[in-house]
Amino acid sequence: MAKILEIRDLKLSFETEEGTVEALDGVYLDVEEGHFHGLIGETGCGKSITGLTVIGLLDNNARIERGEVLFRGKDLLKFTERQFQREIRGKEVAMVFQDPASSLDPVFSIKDQMLEAVRLNKKEEKQSNERIVKELLNKVKLPDVESLLEKYPHQLSGGMKQRVMIAMMLGRNPSMLIADEPTTALDVSIQAQFLRVLMDLKNTTNLTVLYITHNLAVLTEICDEVSVMYAGRIVETASIGDVFNNPSHPYTRKLVNSILRADSTLDSLEEIPGSVPRLINPPPGCRFHPRCEEAVDECSRVIPPVKEIGTNHLVACLRR
Amino acid sequence: MAGRKRSFWIRRIVRTLVTAFGVSLVAFLILHLTPGDPAKIMLGPYASEAAYEAIRERYHLNEPLPLQYLYWISGVFRGDLGDSIRYNRPVLELIKDRIGPTLALMGSALFISITLGIFLGIVAAIKRNTPIDYFATFQAVFWLSIPPFWLGILFLYIFGLQLRWVPIGGMVGFTSLIFPALTIGLRDEAWFARPMRAEMLEVLNQDYIKAVKAKGLKYSSVIVKHALRNALIPMITMIALRLPWVIGGSVVVEVVFSWGGLGSFLVSSVLARDYPVVQAILLLIAMLVVVANLVADLLYSVIDPRIRKES
Repeated sequence: MAKILEIRDLKLSFETEEGTVEALDGVYLDVEEGHFHGLIGETGCGKSITGLTVIGLLDNNARIERGEVLFRGKDLLKFTERQFQREIRGKEVAMVFQDPASSLDPVFSIKDQMLEAVRLNKKEEKQSNERIVKELLNKVKLPDVESLLEKYPHQLSGGMKQRVMIAMMLGRNPSMLIADEPTTALDVSIQAQFLRVLMDLKNTTNLTVLYITHNLAVLTEICDEVSVMYAGRIVETASIGDVFNNPSHPYTRKLVNSILRADSTLDSLEEIPGSVPRLINPPPGCRFHPRCEEAVDECSRVIPPVKEIGTNHLVACLRR
Repeated sequence: MAGRKRSFWIRRIVRTLVTAFGVSLVAFLILHLTPGDPAKIMLGPYASEAAYEAIRERYHLNEPLPLQYLYWISGVFRGDLGDSIRYNRPVLELIKDRIGPTLALMGSALFISITLGIFLGIVAAIKRNTPIDYFATFQAVFWLSIPPFWLGILFLYIFGLQLRWVPIGGMVGFTSLIFPALTIGLRDEAWFARPMRAEMLEVLNQDYIKAVKAKGLKYSSVIVKHALRNALIPMITMIALRLPWVIGGSVVVEVVFSWGGLGSFLVSSVLARDYPVVQAILLLIAMLVVVANLVADLLYSVIDPRIRKES
């Protein structure tokens, strides 16, 4: 299996009025082509930033300090805005965002917005483009496509909008889709519907998906591998089975034990003491050590290196 | 849905008519709100008793006030706005002679202010916190701080008197339009550039802008097609609400530049107590504002599908 995306030692910071935010600090992430790779972590840990780096849509105040983001071997960090626009966005990597309510332009019809994407493929003929749009909308299981085309975003429900987004992003036939918390804003019943659409794509296409979420339960449904992110670093990467059955990093364990199950009682649920550190002055050494029960003195001094503790099972913890 | 839409427009038009009625009432009452005998106000204190009586007869001043309004307003609908006391000619004719220059002036001023204001607003937003942005802010504050009559005099002095590029006032071809239009237009440009910048920044921060970029759309298309169209929607109201100031500005500027339009005519008619003329021009200006607001609402529903489909 070929790796489609390899992120190596990515360090990235933001200049803000309060100071420099060290958003990503040595991120390593490998994504296999055709796999669904989950990226999980608490709000503000740098998941979305990682996604936006791959598609070149970081805000202007972002500063990349070191590292490589290799997409099919090419370092995206060396790409100009124009190269991103011409060679990557839409064509190779597409992205779906968290809030479907604000992801579609309110003043254009669904048809116009879908066609805009499809037309970028340089296939001429208006009729074939419209046919492609309809096929895409069918693919994401949207009902009554004919009347849907003439509608405007405000006339659609959140779940429908999110499926339109997927269809629109697939319109250019990208190899990779970054889904940034796509179900967070949806009702639970609609979430399942949306995940079924993704599952279907997984079974019928060779699409690679980087699925960003803070909800571990969602990942179990669709992902092959999971990377756990904490305060700007990836602390553990493993197959979905290993994450649940053999979690290695203390943070991953806490995360797994905090999932609600049908048989869990409030007492059996674990919570993680403390909160995510502010990244303006992050803790030295392992960033998790102030909240970690297994922490020793060394943890506050040494940044834990990434170790391979099993087949495709990576962890960054001094105690392993 | 169509029924609801129709009822919205019926309500909107009824509201416009009510406003128009109120406006006509104010224009009519101007003459009567001034203390004293309207006939004496119009003719001054030294006319003959026969002349006063003729005026009273001509404008039905001996009738009760509501009846006087009916006479006046039915005249307006028949195109009879009374006669100018100064020129002894129908007001409508006098207005017809002068409305062209005023519309030319206001049109050019609006053109300058809207195109320049929107352009600078966009550029300032795209290049935010750069010297270009600071320059846009600086020039906006600069034009807003100068009263139009003073700016007009300055322009006349520099470009008319010293450099002799343009005629010193009057209406002599296209060149004499440039500086009166700039005097009004630059100030209103400043008025539009700031909110346009704010709107653009707000829109550029929206997820859908990120999403159209993620599709791989060119930056210029992202700005012109998606960001601009969304940012322009609130600007329609801004522009419509600004219209009374454009008109007010043109009154002052017409006087400064000896521009033979309705503005300077209004001022000279007020000074000459030519009330039929004053009433007519006030009514015309007010109607222009009322209609502009209605048009703005109409435009809204054309541009913004959220209003088109629901209201």
